[in-house]
Amino acid sequence: MASDLLEVEVAGIKFKLDKSLKYTESDEWVRVEGGVATVGITDFAQKELKDIVGVELPEVGAAVKAGDTVATVESIKATAEIYSPVSGEIVEVNEKLLDAPETINEDPYGEGWIFKVRISDPSELDKLLDFQSYIESVKKRKS
Amino acid sequence: MPRRVLLEDLHASLGAVFGEFAGWSVPMSYEGTLKEHMAVRREAGIFDISHMGRMLVSGEGSTELLERIYTKRVSKTKVGFMSGPTLALNEHARVRDDEMPYRLGEDEWLIVPNAAVADSMLSYFRETAESLGLEVRIEDLRSKYALLALQGPKAADIVEALGGGDLLGLKPLQFVRGVELAGVKLELVSRSGWTGEDGFEILAEPQAARALFSKALEAGAKPAGIAARDTLRIEAGFVLGGHEYGEDPKKWPCAVSLRYGLGAIDWGKSGFVGEDALRACRREGVRWIRIGLVMKKKYARMIPRQGYRLYVDDVDVGWVTSGTYSPVIGRGVAQAYIDSRYAYIGDSIEIDIRGKRGEAKIQEFPLVPLGVKTA
Repeated sequence: MASDLLEVEVAGIKFKLDKSLKYTESDEWVRVEGGVATVGITDFAQKELKDIVGVELPEVGAAVKAGDTVATVESIKATAEIYSPVSGEIVEVNEKLLDAPETINEDPYGEGWIFKVRISDPSELDKLLDFQSYIESVKKRKS
Repeated sequence: MPRRVLLEDLHASLGAVFGEFAGWSVPMSYEGTLKEHMAVRREAGIFDISHMGRMLVSGEGSTELLERIYTKRVSKTKVGFMSGPTLALNEHARVRDDEMPYRLGEDEWLIVPNAAVADSMLSYFRETAESLGLEVRIEDLRSKYALLALQGPKAADIVEALGGGDLLGLKPLQFVRGVELAGVKLELVSRSGWTGEDGFEILAEPQAARALFSKALEAGAKPAGIAARDTLRIEAGFVLGGHEYGEDPKKWPCAVSLRYGLGAIDWGKSGFVGEDALRACRREGVRWIRIGLVMKKKYARMIPRQGYRLYVDDVDVGWVTSGTYSPVIGRGVAQAYIDSRYAYIGDSIEIDIRGKRGEAKIQEFPLVPLGVKTA
């Protein structure tokens, strides 16, 4: 997965992006494989939050709509809500994060994934951002 | 635009992440708050706390002025010592600021107000002196000297390594002026701090402060940011304006509820601002009391934050004033006001954390062991 990483800098903040992923305005990334979306937060988001010390995960089997708050990430600095980028059913959560939430800081696009959703409406994927649009979205917020 | 601390360039060269605090651009963290926090609890860290106030109050009327302002008899403080923690109240017995005046001479004091009230305390001191017709000079020293804090169980080892063996004889709250450390001339060094650990606070001209900061790093101290300073003071049980206290009687209980420091309020003293309201508040009995909270193991990583409500069953019994995650014990920890009828140390209480209940234990401060040094 590391092969596709691109390093960008916005307003003095350097962060990595995976070109193969989709993104949201609220700093989630989405990897779609076989009708299932794996979701995490971007390198930019983990850098903004800094020291992550807690994660609250959704229940496996829960039905979620795009935009629902399904998880929270606690850092020393703040609490961040994590939204589901797509509608569907939660099929897996990354329980390793409960004991090692700092994994999100260390490997946001890999071991730091948060939950997986079986996608019920594939057309919602079209509303997600590609990496270039995500960079624009970060720029807009930082300007 | 936020104001800039005198050593901003040094912090930038150390990779600091800056953030705004009380109108100042301050180094929030360097390597990461958790690491900096642990460095101060186990070894040593050095902070630039130059966003804080620094005012020199001198002249014949200065001690009388301080006696009018503070809840403690500061005139009992010996020259060469800081008074213990004390409070400056308003007429509602709410807290303007908590401070530890340094007695530089019989009629000469150094006051270090918290950053958020540094400007208002300057004018409050001036106005109070004027209304009492006191002969007092008040000088703002913020651009003249920087203020550093070297903190941690190894702070003394660092000072010794820098050739400051003489300074190790300083008792808590004692200070010396015009000393040299590592060949750097310092205006004042005190045995004090705001982390609960042993340490030294240093007043020095900007160039000297810059040099000393770097030398302390060479001697093994870690640079520590203002974010770690906050998490450390929460664990230690130290209070901060805007969290545990404030001037608005609708938002904060009276100063008795703060249960702040031994002897911070001297009930045998009279004639200070806020006294009548403070005594009335004490007579009525304290409705709210400040306590510490530690999340139970099952809820260890739930973090209580300012404003979250406390519950016993469905009864709302208080609110969190400051909260964070303690890297020392791996639990969410907090300071809170609780209805005094429910304030049993050791009892458990529920906290509403964004719609979910987490259980915490009511605990006395400090919330973690202090003074634990790694070998």
